[in-house]
Amino acid sequence: MKTFAETFSFVTPVVQADIGGDHIFKISRAGSSTPEDAPTMEFIYHFGPVFTLSSLAILCAGTFGGLLLGATPGLSPTMAVALLIPFTFHMDPAQGLMLLGAAYTATVAGGAVSAILLKIPGAPANIATALDGYEMARKGEGAKALQLCFISSFIGGVLGVLVLIFLTPLLAQWALSFGPSHLFWIAILGVTIIGSLDSKSVIKGLLAGCIGLWIAMIGYDSVQGVERFIFSEHLEGGVHIIAALIGLFAIPQVIEMLEGGRNLRTYDMIKVKPHNVWDSVRTTLAHPRTVSIGSIVGIIIGLIPGAGGQIAGLVAYDQSKRFSPKRKLFGTGEPEGVIAAETANNAMVGPSLVPLLTLSVPGSPTAAVLLGGLLIHGIFPGPNLFEKHADVAWAFINSLLIGQLLMMLFGLYIAGLAAHVVRVPPAILASAILVLAVFGAYSVQNSMSDVVVMLVLGIGMYFLQQYGYSAAPLVLGVILGPIAESNYVQGRIIASAGDGMFTYFCTGTMNLILIALVIASVGYSFASEFRTRQRASEPEKTA
Amino acid sequence: MSNIDDSTAGRTQQTVAAGVILALSIWVAYVSFDVDDPQPYLFPRLFSVVMVVLAAVALVRALRGANRTGTVMGGRQFARIVPVLALMLLYVFVLIPLLGFYTAAAVSFLAVYTVYDPQSHLSAAVWLKRLTITVGFIAVIYVVFALGLKVQTPRALFI
Repeated sequence: MKTFAETFSFVTPVVQADIGGDHIFKISRAGSSTPEDAPTMEFIYHFGPVFTLSSLAILCAGTFGGLLLGATPGLSPTMAVALLIPFTFHMDPAQGLMLLGAAYTATVAGGAVSAILLKIPGAPANIATALDGYEMARKGEGAKALQLCFISSFIGGVLGVLVLIFLTPLLAQWALSFGPSHLFWIAILGVTIIGSLDSKSVIKGLLAGCIGLWIAMIGYDSVQGVERFIFSEHLEGGVHIIAALIGLFAIPQVIEMLEGGRNLRTYDMIKVKPHNVWDSVRTTLAHPRTVSIGSIVGIIIGLIPGAGGQIAGLVAYDQSKRFSPKRKLFGTGEPEGVIAAETANNAMVGPSLVPLLTLSVPGSPTAAVLLGGLLIHGIFPGPNLFEKHADVAWAFINSLLIGQLLMMLFGLYIAGLAAHVVRVPPAILASAILVLAVFGAYSVQNSMSDVVVMLVLGIGMYFLQQYGYSAAPLVLGVILGPIAESNYVQGRIIASAGDGMFTYFCTGTMNLILIALVIASVGYSFASEFRTRQRASEPEKTA
Repeated sequence: MSNIDDSTAGRTQQTVAAGVILALSIWVAYVSFDVDDPQPYLFPRLFSVVMVVLAAVALVRALRGANRTGTVMGGRQFARIVPVLALMLLYVFVLIPLLGFYTAAAVSFLAVYTVYDPQSHLSAAVWLKRLTITVGFIAVIYVVFALGLKVQTPRALFI
C-alpha cells in the first residue's frame, strides 16, 4: 500500500523505520534547506507517519472511542485519556500520542451529545452547549444541533491546531535559551497557575500542588540513590506517573458515580429525527461572526494555562450573544449559541498544548495527562522537543489536524449511536472503569505495587475532593516535581560556582518575569476569591 | 450531599481534613530537615516549608468556619459509598492474590454491578443479564491485555 509520503513528489523518503509491522516514512524536504530555515512550515514534512494504515486505524479508534466516552455523562476527557495511557505504553511513541490526541479532541466534542440530548454536559467544556442545544432538541431539532456542534467543532479545532502548529516552534526556539533557573520557575509557575486558577480555594489548590510535589519525591533520589519518604514496600519504586494519573482521575469518578446508591438514574432522552447535513453546513457558514468569535475566544483562552474549555465555551457564548442581532433568542434554541460554544471549546484544544510542548507547562488537566503520556515514552517536552524528537512531536501535532476531520465525520454519523451510550447504567460504567484502572495501572510495569498505589491515591483523592481539594494541581505537582527538582539541583551547582543562589535564581529579566507571573497568578486568584466571597456575603448582610 | 456552609458538620469535617494535611506536612518537613546528608532533601525542604504554612492557614480557616469550598459528607452518602470502597479494597488486597487477575476482575465487576444495580436481585433474567455483561466485558479485557498487549498477570487459584 502506498503511503502519503510516496504519493507526494515534493518530498523524499530518507529514513524507513519498521514500526509495528508498518513502514513509516520519516520524510524531509527534497531541497538542501534545513528545517531550521523555516520552522513554521516544518509540519508539512511530517505528515507521512500520520497517513500509514496503522496510524489511521489508531486515529479512527481514538476518535470513535473518544466520542462515545465523551458522550457518556460522568466520564471526563481527562479520565478517558488517563485510562488510555497504559495502552499507548506498548506502542510506538508517535502512534501512542496520536491515540491520546484523537481521544482528547473527540471526548471534548462528544460531550456535546449528552449536553444536547439530556442537558447533561459530557464534560465541563460543554456546559454552554447545553443552553441552546437542549432547547433545539426539545423543538425536534436535535439532529441539527448535533450536526452544528460537530461542524463548528471541526472549524474551531482546525484553527486551534493551526495556532499550535505555527506558534509552538517559534516559542520553542525562544525557550531554547532557558537555563535551569528559568526551567525551575516555569515548573513552579505550572503548579501555581493550575493550583490557583483551577481551584475554588487558592490555599487548597496550592496545598494540593505541594502534596503532588511530595508524592513525586517518594522513592529513590535520582542523584545519589538515597531513599526518600518510603514508608511502605509498595513505595520502593516511587510513585509511577501513570498509576498516579489513573488513580487520581479514575477512582474518584468511580466512587462519585455510585454515590447515588441503588437509585435508578433515569434520563429523559429526546429522540433524534434525521436532518440534512448540508443544511447544517450552510447554517454554520452563514454565521461567520459567531464562528470567528468562538475561534478567537477559544484560541486565546486555550493559550492561558489553567483557563480550560468550560471558560472558553461560556465566554464565547456570552460574547456571541452580545454581538448577535438575535441575542434575545439565545437560550431558547438558537443555533448561534451551539455554534459559538462548540467552536470555542474545540478551538481551545490546540492552543492548550502550546505551553505544554514548549515549556512543559500543561494548560489544562487533560494536557497534564498528555504530559504523562509523553514522559512514559521518554519524551520530555520543552525547548528541546523539536530538536530531539521533532518526528514524534510533528506527527502528534499533524494527527490532531487529521483528528479534527475524523471527529467531524464520525460525529455526524454516530451521533445516534452515542445517544444510546449515554444510557449505560452507572453501575456498569463504574465497574468497568474500576477493572480498567486496575489493569491499566498494572500493565505499565507489571507491578502490583502500582495497583496498590493507584487505589490508595484514588480513594484519598475522593475524600480530598469532598473538602475542596482538586486533582489537577496535585497531578501537576506529581508531574512537574522531578522537573523542578532536577533544575533546582543543577541551578544550585551553577550558583555555587558563581554569584550565589539568590543572584542565580532571583535576578535577570527572565527570572524576574517568571517570578512576577508566579506572584501574579497567586495574587490574582486570591483577589478574585476575595471578591467572590464579598459578593456572596453581600446578600447575607442585606438580609 | 449539600454545599458547605457554616454548619457544625461542615466545619468539623473541614477541620479534620485540614488537620490531617497539616500533620502530613509537618511530617514531610521533619523528615526533610532531620537528615545527616541534606543533599537529597534540598528540594523537599523548600516545598515542605511552604506546605506547612499553607496547611496551617487552611486549618485556621477551617477552625474559623471560613472554608466554603467542598461539600459536607453526610452519613447517608458515606453509607452509600462504603460498599464500593470495601469491594475495591477486597479486589486488590484479597481477590487478586487469592483468585488471580482475571477471575478477581470478573468477581469484582459482578459484585460492584450487582450491589449498585437498581434492578431486582430476585429475577433470574436480571442475573442472566449481569452474568452475560460480566463475561463479555472480561473476555474483551482478556483479549486486549493478555492476547493484544501480552501483559503477564500474576496467577493464583485461577488466571
